[in-house]
Amino acid sequence: MLSSIRPGTVVLSRTFKQSLASYRGVTAVSLYSTNNSAQKSDSTKETTSTEKGKSVAPEDVRTKRRELSSSKYESASYQLPKWKEALGEFVISTLNLDMDKVRAGPIAGSYYYSICKEQGLQYEDEPLSKTAKFFYEDLKLPKTFSQWYQITILHEWMLFVRMRAMPFKYGKNYQQKLVDRTFADIEKRLYDEMNVHSGRITDQYLKDFNSQLRGAVFAYDEGFFSGDAALASAIWRNLFGGKKNIDMVHLEAMVRYVRAQLYVLSKLSDREFAMGEFKFVPPDESVEILTPEQEKSLKEKVVAKYEAVDANPNALPSEKSKFSYTN
Amino acid sequence: MSQATKESAKQLVKLLEKFPKERVKHLISFKESQLDRFRPVAGIETGSASEQSKPSLAEIKDIINRTSGPLGLKKDLLKKVQEALPEEHFNDTQIQEQIRSLNAIMSDKYKNYYAVGDKLYKPAGNPIYYKRLHDEIEGKGKETFFTAMRTVVFGK
Repeated sequence: MLSSIRPGTVVLSRTFKQSLASYRGVTAVSLYSTNNSAQKSDSTKETTSTEKGKSVAPEDVRTKRRELSSSKYESASYQLPKWKEALGEFVISTLNLDMDKVRAGPIAGSYYYSICKEQGLQYEDEPLSKTAKFFYEDLKLPKTFSQWYQITILHEWMLFVRMRAMPFKYGKNYQQKLVDRTFADIEKRLYDEMNVHSGRITDQYLKDFNSQLRGAVFAYDEGFFSGDAALASAIWRNLFGGKKNIDMVHLEAMVRYVRAQLYVLSKLSDREFAMGEFKFVPPDESVEILTPEQEKSLKEKVVAKYEAVDANPNALPSEKSKFSYTN
Repeated sequence: MSQATKESAKQLVKLLEKFPKERVKHLISFKESQLDRFRPVAGIETGSASEQSKPSLAEIKDIINRTSGPLGLKKDLLKKVQEALPEEHFNDTQIQEQIRSLNAIMSDKYKNYYAVGDKLYKPAGNPIYYKRLHDEIEGKGKETFFTAMRTVVFGK
């Protein structure tokens, strides 16, 4: 059925076949590469940006908040000292901490936010990433902060859809952590990158972003449940800013993109998703439907993997989870 | 503009007229804005149809109450959009492409192809989430004060 899409247009013809399998079992690695060159150029720009005060010009970027935090604990290269690790495991086992709840912070609040954030991240003086090229060059979206926000919340909403299918208590917690991190990061980006130094104005922006998030989640939910036409209208109103001269081919490409991501998410078990074993399929690749045999063999692999973890008597307390790996 | 373009545009307008109406009123409607855009290309007068469906004063007030002001963001965004996109000129193949894509969207092609099943449509954490939302939009099930409070307190 997919082959009936005629590759006559820019966006759709860029796709090549890639099976779903390679997107499962991807672990969180090296997402936060620190950009040293960005910091070097800052010192020269410092004076001009402070003079200008509250101007919202992207060229006045003081500190690029590419990575989520400056904390060493959140960098990919950092290795926890053995004694700290042992102490942590001791605390978890003696206090009998619910790791499924604790894990929401590092997985949803850090890893999942980072993959949503990087999709549309762009700086004026830097070449665009592959996914950013799709959004800003192929779809011709404007390169603005609020556009970045729209791209980010579209991806966050897709994760929300999967989080709702987790046990209620945990799913809610994952959603909460993701939203908390989003707004904490936006507040810092507004200060550092957009040079908004007034707390009152920042609050106004945050409130506005909050209502955008609520509206978008509602509209996407409606579209997800009722059909592609409603989903396309929701994408048009939110992601494309309701512009009149929309190219329907772009709209179709986006509907397909969203549905494909949701399909991948639906094939992940709770355990895999909760452990952060998901990343978005790049827009220049397409997702093929799994045959029943493929699905069965993938499921068996997952079950074998987590059965081994659960049966291992030496497994660390922090590795344990009660999430189902069979659904 | 060639006759072929005109004919294709007429097809597109016909298709757009079948596009499902939005069930929640928004400031802009996809269907109406696209009809306004392609009717002149098809040589059809922008009739009173879209005139009538313009939101009334009460509806605009309602929409403004629901959403906060754009805080200058929207203006900036719109300006950049307009700069990025010059005047439109259509030819036959372009319009045929639009028709093909619109057909794919309206036939639920991707919803059916990438079927996610009840795992996501009836999510384990809150199985009635989408049904409740849908019923409320359709006007089937009515939300009462108590069901609303239940959501506020228990989250579902």
